[in-house]
Amino acid sequence: MNNGGARRMNGGGEEDDDEDYVNGDLDAWERTYTDERSWESLQEDESGLLRPIDNKALYHSQYRRRLRSLSSTATAARIQKGLIRYLYLVIDLSRAASETDFRPSRIVVIAKHVEAFIREFFDQNPLSQVGLLTIKDGVAQCLTDLGGSPESHIKALMNKLECSGDSSLQNALDLVDGYLNQIPSYGHREVLILYAALSTCDPGDIMETIQKCKKSKIRCSVIGLAAEMFICKHLCQETGGTYSVALDESHFKELILEHAPPPPAIAEFATANLIKMGFPQRAAEGSISICSCHKEAKVGAGYTCPRCKARVCELPTECRICGLTLVSSPHLARSYHHLFPIAPFDEVPPFSLNDPNHKLQRNCFGCQQSLLNPGNKPGLLVVCPKCKGYFCLDCDIYIHESLHNCPGCDSFRHSKADKE
Amino acid sequence: MKFQIEDVTVYFPYDHIYPEQYSYMIELKRALDAKGHCLLEMPTGTGKTIALLSLITSYSLSKPQSPIKLIYCTRTVHEMEKTLAELKLLHNYQIKHLGPQARILAIGLSSRKNLCVNPTVLAAENRDSVDAGCRKLTASWVRAMAAENPNVPTCQFFENYEKAASAAVLPPGVYTLQDLRAFGKEKGWCPYFLARHMVQFANVVVYSYQYLLDPKVAGIISKEMQKESVVVFDEAHNIDNVCIEALSVSVRRQTLEGATRNLNRISQEIDSRKNLFHKLGPKPTYAVGLFHGRFKATDASRLRSEYNRLVEGLALRGNLPITDTWLSNPALPDDILKEAVPGNIRRAEHFLHVLRRLVQYLRGRLETDNVEKESPVGFVASISSHAGIDQKTLKFCYDRLHSLMLTLEITDTDEFLHIQTICDFATLIGTYARGFSIIIEPFDERMPHIPDPVLQLSCHDASLAIKPVFDRFQSVVITSGTLSPIDLYPRLLNFHPVVSRSFTMSLTRDCICPMVLTRGSDQLPVSTKFDMRSDPGVVRNYGKLLLEMVSVVPDGIVCFFVSYSYMDGIINTWNDSGILKEIMQHKLVFIETQDVVETTLALDNYRRACDCGRGAVFFSVARGKVAEGIDFDRHYGRLVIMFGVPFQYTLSKILLARLEYLRDTFQIKEGDFLTFDALRQAAQCVGRVIRSKADYGMMIFADKRYSRHDKRSKLPSWILSHLRDANLNLSTDMALHIAREFLRKMAQPYDKTGGSDRKTLLSQEDLEKMGDGSVHEMLY
Repeated sequence: MNNGGARRMNGGGEEDDDEDYVNGDLDAWERTYTDERSWESLQEDESGLLRPIDNKALYHSQYRRRLRSLSSTATAARIQKGLIRYLYLVIDLSRAASETDFRPSRIVVIAKHVEAFIREFFDQNPLSQVGLLTIKDGVAQCLTDLGGSPESHIKALMNKLECSGDSSLQNALDLVDGYLNQIPSYGHREVLILYAALSTCDPGDIMETIQKCKKSKIRCSVIGLAAEMFICKHLCQETGGTYSVALDESHFKELILEHAPPPPAIAEFATANLIKMGFPQRAAEGSISICSCHKEAKVGAGYTCPRCKARVCELPTECRICGLTLVSSPHLARSYHHLFPIAPFDEVPPFSLNDPNHKLQRNCFGCQQSLLNPGNKPGLLVVCPKCKGYFCLDCDIYIHESLHNCPGCDSFRHSKADKE
Repeated sequence: MKFQIEDVTVYFPYDHIYPEQYSYMIELKRALDAKGHCLLEMPTGTGKTIALLSLITSYSLSKPQSPIKLIYCTRTVHEMEKTLAELKLLHNYQIKHLGPQARILAIGLSSRKNLCVNPTVLAAENRDSVDAGCRKLTASWVRAMAAENPNVPTCQFFENYEKAASAAVLPPGVYTLQDLRAFGKEKGWCPYFLARHMVQFANVVVYSYQYLLDPKVAGIISKEMQKESVVVFDEAHNIDNVCIEALSVSVRRQTLEGATRNLNRISQEIDSRKNLFHKLGPKPTYAVGLFHGRFKATDASRLRSEYNRLVEGLALRGNLPITDTWLSNPALPDDILKEAVPGNIRRAEHFLHVLRRLVQYLRGRLETDNVEKESPVGFVASISSHAGIDQKTLKFCYDRLHSLMLTLEITDTDEFLHIQTICDFATLIGTYARGFSIIIEPFDERMPHIPDPVLQLSCHDASLAIKPVFDRFQSVVITSGTLSPIDLYPRLLNFHPVVSRSFTMSLTRDCICPMVLTRGSDQLPVSTKFDMRSDPGVVRNYGKLLLEMVSVVPDGIVCFFVSYSYMDGIINTWNDSGILKEIMQHKLVFIETQDVVETTLALDNYRRACDCGRGAVFFSVARGKVAEGIDFDRHYGRLVIMFGVPFQYTLSKILLARLEYLRDTFQIKEGDFLTFDALRQAAQCVGRVIRSKADYGMMIFADKRYSRHDKRSKLPSWILSHLRDANLNLSTDMALHIAREFLRKMAQPYDKTGGSDRKTLLSQEDLEKMGDGSVHEMLY
């Protein structure tokens, strides 16, 4: 960069300028604009002064907002949720995805967070399945079929990250519609589109495709990477999905993870249904058998379908031979918490800590760490509305996002039972 | 909601009101109280129309002893319909709260083209032929003929309307053009004549500017409006140009040829009256069938009775049936009606001779190789010496022609537009000695090798046309989104407003992002200044700017250029250098042309491209049709780029003459006026993208001259207040970065009512809680 600057300083000549433009190269000083964006993380207050960045409080407040928005819909009305989801993740690999306004480039950021999302998704929805689609050169391609194995999806995606050409929303929707129409009626059909481009180059009338998606009850959500597009907003509104645009990388991560917990079921679709499932046993270690999914001979570590005795490698899945849905009981149990989420904890104003009544609660009920910041200043903390236990912020997040049980409530209930 | 402004109870049909609407109403109320004129600037998208309508109707309801009439002038039929729709909503609300005493009659009035329900007449393609088609069926002599001969076609709707006579009234209510047509169809009455009749009785009349400003039309339609009326000119930022156009005439070679043809036909008509027996000879030029009823002995006597009428003075014309009037005197209405027509043109043949000499003279004047500029006085003197027509005769030409055509029972008036133009011209130069000039140009300056002589009578003084309006009506309200600088309009229109105020928009978020771009990505200045505009560097930088922008802005982008020729040039260059092709990879490109049909088609496709997500760029011209009347709201315009400062073509002779006049008469400096005019056009262009508060959009002023204070400060305050110092002197890459950030920020969900500290929606309780003072504090 310095060399480029020096050359320019020495009067490298106007001809060079022109050549640069023809080649589409950026000048050195332009590169500084696009490469280093140190100013972006700075924040100004009203008078233009730089504001110190308090990441933790900021992060926590964002988290709480998200929690509130989720729980306000869930706990209040105890809304039915689609636990068996069939989600197609559409990744835009058009020219626009190679832009570098996200570091190092949009597509790398997308891939990174898609990986995290897929893991999170299966963690939260063990009964669900994901498929991957890409849009490239105006054509939509299926990368992986619907399946329950995070590893295979991630592996498939990481191999195909070249971006080129235009992007076509309609082609992607058509393809998804074709796949999702075949799935059984109890499953919830969803599409999550990660859209980098700002236009869509379609072969036909996209409005018809949107109506088709609406008719087949596919919930389409879009996360944009650059700006709000009318057609995406329209698509989400019509099909009941959400549309959001990422401000930066961390915001993008937040947005994509918002799609991990199951959305409320579409009303007319949410009829009670009995589903036949098999709970296969884990095969004995060391036994050699041919698995039905990879058609390979494998040693140990597999499951046997209770109906047709075929061998599968991973759960949950669908038996290749008899078509039975195969799950394990922990999977079902893990999905369960979405129906009965724990209430969000209330924030406690710091001064009430000095109240004599609360003197005892100086430690977090969860991790037993001191709730006071160094220097004996009270930090932020939260309280469970049921058991009145105090928790630190880290425990708050852990309880709501991973544990899904309040240690306070559970232990009090037990102690009560003991007394009786 | 219902609230009190001083002694007036205002009925407002919505639950919430913007603070700026509230203060707008307060100012308006003060102007009405003072019975004076006012000038109010408030950005578009803040609900000007409903604030106006709701205050004025409420004002009139609260003072039942002296009801005021509201005359609401709009620029386009579309706006008229929108206004009436709002009024309907308001009216329903008032009826709900006040009961039947709130009933008003509100109608929209437009040309026959928009109101006619007769399918045979409507089949004609343009306005003039619809008018003529209507006259062919409804003129008094045609109807008289039909009474004798049932084969003569008449209009059933008009006959029914005439039969109903005084029973033909509209029940109170709000009628849009659509409603009027439906009502007319249902009752079998002609909606156009019904509406024209009801204008006198209506409480609210919505019609186009021309009905008040163009003296030709105003004399007929707006003659009987009471003095206690409030006249509102909405979107009035170009009102001075409308006034000037109403009084300007241009004569070309075609006009003169057409006029000669018209004169020949008139003289044939006259001859046919004189010699009944020769009449039946071959006259193939017109439809004999239409006139077959008139070969009677009464013809000669009719010419004679016309002569008598002319002796008595033209004012008698008021007694003619309503269908026969079509265009009135282009001079000020009461100026000359009382005088008798001079003797030398009372006889039809003599008048024709005068007109022939006039046309001959004008033809001679057009045969010039040099640009000539003359004052009306000199021109009249020269006519008098060369053609022997004095000033008084000229003055009466228009009325005399009008009268003659009535006498000859000519119904296809659209054929006679050329001779009407000539007479219009004659009357104007005969009437006004000041404020006009006559400019003869042998060719268009941009194409000097093509001879296209044109003689223009151009009006320089906008106050001439609007003066009668100010004089006649109690209050005139001039309002628009862009009236900056607000002190210039009273000077241009020569009136004294009692209130002149500019309001800003209260926003829940910073949803407009104006930027001044002064340099391209290579840091060289960009400008459309005359010496710079063809510089390849500037053209390339502009192209680069657009290319970068199409890749970061979603959906629609609108670009405005300073002129058609500049747009053609720059698009050609972009095409040659391949920039256009690169742009097309991101968005489709649509271009405005001077052809209306083509442009409409382009706009339609542009909208479709925006809707379906393909994205599109619209290239348009400041001062063009698109810049004036088409909205690019929401995703139809996320970014507007104003390439250059849209100065008028400063070498134009007409503009120079007008500037000189403004300097001499109103002491307005040339530079000031030019800058004012350019900046209001620019503001008008960029204002196209924001049509409501929920909308958002960016505006790029791409010219280094915008960063100068004298230019920038003339932008309306609602743009200036969002133009941060940091955005004043940008280069392409900086602008690009700002655009990215802005679009991301705007895509986030937001709270529509605004936070507690930035209240942008007031409910009834809020208004009751605070006195007038606190609103002012909030806004300023």
